[in-house]
Amino acid sequence: MPDWLTGELGLQIAGGVAVTVALTVITSITSFAVGLGAAIGRRSGRAWARRTAATFVEIFRNVPALILLIFFAFAVPNLFPAGLRKTLFFDNRFVDTIETITTLPLPYYALAAVVALTVNTGAHLAEILRAGLDSVPQQRIDAARSLGASARSAYLTITIPDGVRIAFPGVINRLVHNLKNTALVSFVAVPDAFQKIQGTITKTFEATELLIFAALLYLLLATLLEFGLRRIELALWRGRAVDRRLDV
Amino acid sequence: MSDQFDFLLRQLPNLLWGFPSRRPGGLLLSLLLSAGAISAGLVLAIALAFANHSRNRLVQVLARRVVWAIRGIPLIVLLVLMFQLLGTGTLFGVSFSAFWAAAVTLTLYAAAYQADIVTAGITAVPQQLVSDARLLGASPVTVARTVTLPYCLRTMRPALVTQAITIFKDSSVVVVLGVADLTTNARIALGGDVSNTPFWVATYLLVGFLYWCVAFGIARLVNAHDRPTSSLLGGAHG
Repeated sequence: MPDWLTGELGLQIAGGVAVTVALTVITSITSFAVGLGAAIGRRSGRAWARRTAATFVEIFRNVPALILLIFFAFAVPNLFPAGLRKTLFFDNRFVDTIETITTLPLPYYALAAVVALTVNTGAHLAEILRAGLDSVPQQRIDAARSLGASARSAYLTITIPDGVRIAFPGVINRLVHNLKNTALVSFVAVPDAFQKIQGTITKTFEATELLIFAALLYLLLATLLEFGLRRIELALWRGRAVDRRLDV
Repeated sequence: MSDQFDFLLRQLPNLLWGFPSRRPGGLLLSLLLSAGAISAGLVLAIALAFANHSRNRLVQVLARRVVWAIRGIPLIVLLVLMFQLLGTGTLFGVSFSAFWAAAVTLTLYAAAYQADIVTAGITAVPQQLVSDARLLGASPVTVARTVTLPYCLRTMRPALVTQAITIFKDSSVVVVLGVADLTTNARIALGGDVSNTPFWVATYLLVGFLYWCVAFGIARLVNAHDRPTSSLLGGAHG
């Protein structure tokens, strides 16, 4: 252990890692839900649903995540005059509740970060999941229909679960990318692992060591996340009679 | 409303090609930086991909580790780390400016992602094609240059284009080093001036729209161009 690393600084960084992990878990779940919704929307029979989902995907997939983060965190509050801005975003019951639960200072920025990462990753996941839903073999849907399943229940019990299974390797890739994107929130005043490490650098001036530590930390987190998601992928296929390699 | 347009109109040249009396910046610099990283990165990526297919275990493992490491580290961390190493001259003995540190990092970052694509592309080249060329007397290097690589790049072109667009979007992260790209210039244009707060939303909408135009535009152009030639071997030249 280097002598400049005091217990207090270590705790600070650990708190940052907790924020990064929480942010990753929350945005993984929300962006998966948004992505699946948009994928279903793009394959819908209703023109308005298709158009809405396509617009959502094409907007948020083609704008850098960093711009979305700055937009939601810093630009949106500036739409309102100073007094109203304060009550709307920084000083009300809802924000205070989040502050007491998460102990984050200025939780609005964390909330904005969740929104920005969700729409960005969600738009990317939508394309991956759509390809998955599209590649569910028609025979399987026909088989369900001929056994008396309604179109709706065939969609819910065959197309969606199988489509998600087929698309899951791509989903894993994107969610690992999302983990790395969470490092961008340090730019919008969210005290994640990278921000805490940068803060430690300004206190100790041990930039090289701490930055290499940051790199190793994210490598470790990415490896752990990928391992966990692979476990989920295996669980999704468990008990299936059909060999997945034959399907894909 | 009109003051919003006035502000945007006043800042548009700064966002598009940088502030007067400074070096090129804004969207122009974002494009130059990512184009440089994508093309230099592709050369590196091809080398890494052939190393990945090398029969020498050491070379293979080394190439895989490098790609794995770069792909596992967030770009923002990589940029700050590389600037720390390059800017102080720790790595090469000369101290790089923020711009060159960003250019080098972005190139390595692009190379790692492109390497995976090219590696997959080399795997997809039919073995028959390679062994036929060898049988006709071509040396391994000639086969790699005239058969494997052109075939691989043609198969993988859509994936490489998608990756190139991603690099362009990711280049916005160089703002952490203060390189005067589109994102940085937007921050400079707004500055710390409180009187500019009403313009934040409009400015970032414009910045997002500029990024969107390039990303969506390239995707559309390439899609439209790709449609008529569906056959892999249809093109007359690689």
